[in-house]
Amino acid sequence: MWGKSPFIRALTTLLLFLALQGFSLIIISRESLFQSVRIGGVVMHLKTGVSGFTSDINYYFGLGDVNDMLRAENLKLLRELELYKKISPHSDSLLKSGEVTPDFSYIPAKVVANSTNKLHNYIILNKGRKNGVEKDMGVISPRGVVGVVTSVSDHFSYVISFLNINQSVSAKITPSMAFGPLIWEGRRTDYATLIEIPYHINFMVGDTVYTSGFSTLFPPDLPLGTVRKSEVTKGSHHNIQVKLFQDFSTLHYVNIVVNNNKEELDLIQGRTNGKDK
Amino acid sequence: MVKTSNFILFLLFVFIQIILSALIDFGPLLFISIYPLFLLTRPVNTSLPSLMIWAFITGLTVDYFSNTILGINSFASVMMVFFQFRILGLVCRKGDMDNQERPGLRELGFTRFSAYLGISILLHHMTFSMVESFGLTHFIYNLPRVIISVAVNSFLIILIEYGVFYKNWR
Repeated sequence: MWGKSPFIRALTTLLLFLALQGFSLIIISRESLFQSVRIGGVVMHLKTGVSGFTSDINYYFGLGDVNDMLRAENLKLLRELELYKKISPHSDSLLKSGEVTPDFSYIPAKVVANSTNKLHNYIILNKGRKNGVEKDMGVISPRGVVGVVTSVSDHFSYVISFLNINQSVSAKITPSMAFGPLIWEGRRTDYATLIEIPYHINFMVGDTVYTSGFSTLFPPDLPLGTVRKSEVTKGSHHNIQVKLFQDFSTLHYVNIVVNNNKEELDLIQGRTNGKDK
Repeated sequence: MVKTSNFILFLLFVFIQIILSALIDFGPLLFISIYPLFLLTRPVNTSLPSLMIWAFITGLTVDYFSNTILGINSFASVMMVFFQFRILGLVCRKGDMDNQERPGLRELGFTRFSAYLGISILLHHMTFSMVESFGLTHFIYNLPRVIISVAVNSFLIILIEYGVFYKNWR
């Protein structure tokens, strides 16, 4: 049986050839410094290539864990930051009483579905009513505003994306702190327009645009983007094109904003409205 | 009988090779290797694996007793032997060697034998010089050495083949 098949014969011959040549090379490399350095260089090159490749693969498959870790840490820091913001103006009394609750707290969520190619884009998140998400909560990411929750199921929430021509975010422009609504005009996913900035306000290209904090949805001073160019409309207002920091097509992890004072704010607003009407 | 004659041939070739290459200094542009004749004139019905083992042992022995880097001759001769039957197939027609045992000068004739020899020796020497300098960087500098060695060794081998084996075999 052995040696009958020409394929097996050719294979054994080839293997023997390679083995003998490899053996010769090993002897050569043990004998001569020059060849051993060269062979060592080749072997090292191959080794580093292979190990670099495998570590790249390991890194890629470990990205999920890394993301989860970073998200948890980020959330912790955000909570801490809100606490600090709350206590800093009158630090002594509140610090001692220990009854500080931050203005905003956050629920981390993962994007389940996302669209960027429509005029009314939406996002679905994997946190719902059971995680404490309610209707009309803001959704942010570290790079800017993402959207507003419009409906909630037990485990998922439906978010109207900022990339929606009906959506607007109250924004301000540094250093003058003039504010106006930031809207999306439905053309490009990485640009938005800040409108109703009065004509006398001075700003430069490259100035940063932040959330104003005048709505109950989003925390103040969240960076949104930078000024790219502007034009004057109707002789009285600037229309400022803003390059967004947020890339909506690569959105994966977001934070849902919980405004802890929302009920109180709604109450006072409702009372005022009731008086008006 | 065949086995002992092979062994005696092997010893003789290695001995002559060692004397020629190790004891006489021909300068840097020439290295003598005549032991390929022993491998090239192995009987045609030898199987390739056994031929390669023969080549490996011969090369290693030559390396061990002469001043070359250990393993370099075995590498080159195994490489040469691996393509030996293909080169033989190039120089002679199919079925030509069926009745012949030994691809020598008498059996092949001068032209075909020298072609067979030249190609094989060239392959051997190229491999030898490439392993010696380990890469193609010094190829141009090695080229005159290879060409001179191929010429001299082929001439020597044809002389030996004509003087020793052409008349006395069988």
